[in-house]
Amino acid sequence: MTLLVNRLLGTLADPWLGEAVHRLEHRGAVETVTLPRADLARRRLRLRTDRGSDLAIALPREVALVDRAVLLLDPDRAVILRVEAENWLRLRPRDGAEALSLGYFAGNLHWRARFEGGDLLVAVEHPLATYLERLRDRLAEGRVQQVEQAAG
Amino acid sequence: MTHPFPDFTAPAGPARIGIGGPVGSGKTALIERLIPALTGRGISLAVITNDLVTDEDAERVRRSGLIDPARVRAVEAGACPHTVIREDPTLNLAAAEDLDAAFPGLDLILLESGGDNLASTFSLDLVDWWMFVIDVGQGDDIPRKRGPGIMQSDLLVINKLDLAPYVHVDAAAILREARAIRAARPVLGCCCRPYGRDGADGTDGIDAIVDLIDREVLFTRAARQDAG
Ligand SMILES: Nc1nc2c(ncn2[C@@H]2O[C@H](COP(=O)(O)OP(=O)(O)OP(=O)(O)O)[C@@H](O)[C@H]2O)c(=O)[nH]1
Ligand SMILES: [Mg+2]
Repeated sequence: MTLLVNRLLGTLADPWLGEAVHRLEHRGAVETVTLPRADLARRRLRLRTDRGSDLAIALPREVALVDRAVLLLDPDRAVILRVEAENWLRLRPRDGAEALSLGYFAGNLHWRARFEGGDLLVAVEHPLATYLERLRDRLAEGRVQQVEQAAG
Repeated sequence: MTHPFPDFTAPAGPARIGIGGPVGSGKTALIERLIPALTGRGISLAVITNDLVTDEDAERVRRSGLIDPARVRAVEAGACPHTVIREDPTLNLAAAEDLDAAFPGLDLILLESGGDNLASTFSLDLVDWWMFVIDVGQGDDIPRKRGPGIMQSDLLVINKLDLAPYVHVDAAAILREARAIRAARPVLGCCCRPYGRDGADGTDGIDAIVDLIDREVLFTRAARQDAG
C-alpha cells in the first residue's frame, strides 16, 4: 500500500518528534528515504524507503523538504528523510587569468560552486565523468588541477 | 518565502508539469493528445502555453474543442523562452495561480514552454516534474548531444516515430541510445499524429506517458495501487 505524505511534521531536531522517533527506533520501526540534494526543491515525489515501502509525497507549495524531516509518524512506524552527502570537485586554477576563465566557464554551465582559498569547488550533481569531460582541455594543459579525488 | 513547517495541513493544490523541447518537436501536439487521455481518467486539467510574442499555441488548444477555452492561458515569453521557465518564472507562476483560483479542484496544469534549444530546463519552483520532447526528424544523434534538456528532464519523449523510416532513423536504436545515456531516467517514444493511428492497442505511446505521469506525479487511486 502506498503511503501518502501531504505535510511535514517537523524534523528530528524538534524534541517531541525526536523522542517519538527514537522510541520507534528501539522497536525497529523507523524507515528512511534518501534524496540527492538537488531533489529537495521538489514538492511531488514517488519514492521507496530503505524497507521497500512505497511513498507518494505531495506537499503544498509553501513547504520545503529539509534533511531529517519526519515525513510520517504513526503508532507503529516513522519515515525520515535523509539527504545524500554531497561530493565536491575541487579545482585549482594555475593563475589569475585561468581563475577568471574557469569561473566564467563554470557559471556558464550553471555549475553550483563554492570558493575556498584559491580553489573553485563544484557540486557533483551528475556523473563525475561529465564534469571532467568539460574540463578535459584545461586539465590536460595543466591550466587547472583537480586537487582532490571526488567520489561518485 | 518558503516556510519549512506551516502548522496546518493545506491541500497540495494542482500538480504542475512542464513540457519543453526544441521548436516544432510536437509539444502542443502532445498536449492535444494528453488532454483527452487525462480527462478520461477523471483528471481536472488546465493548460498554459508560452510563445515568443503571440498566443498562437493557446489559441490552437482553445479551438481544439478538447478543453474549456477558459482553462487555457497564454504567457508571452518575449525573446527568451527559457528565462520565463527558469530564471524568472513570475509570469508563469501568476498564470498558474490564476488558474488555481478560477478552477477549484483542479488536479493538473500542463505548461508548454516556447520552442527552444537543447539547453532549456524548468525551475522546480514553477513545475513539479517536466518532460523534454524531441523528435526523430531532428536527427538520430540528438540524444548523444546531451544538453540539460536531454539529461535532466524527468521524462525524455521521442516523438514522430512514424517518420523514422523517412528520415533514415532507426527508431529502436535512438530509443536504446537515449536510455543508455539517461541511465535510470525514463525515455518513451510516441507518435502524436496522425490522430488515432494505432491508438487502440497503445502503440502510439500516449497511454504509457499518461501512466508514468499518474505514477510519478498525480497519485490517483489506480496509481497508488500500482505500488510495484
Ligand atoms: N508525422 C508526425 N507529425 C507530428 C507528430 N507530432 C507533431 N507533428 C507535427 O509536427 C509539427 C509541429 O508540431 P507542434 O505540436 O506544433 O510542435 P511544438 O513543439 O508545439 O512547436 P512550437 O511550439 O512552435 O515549438 C506539426 O506540423 C505537427 O502536425 C507526430 O507524431 N508525427
Ligand atoms: Mg507548440
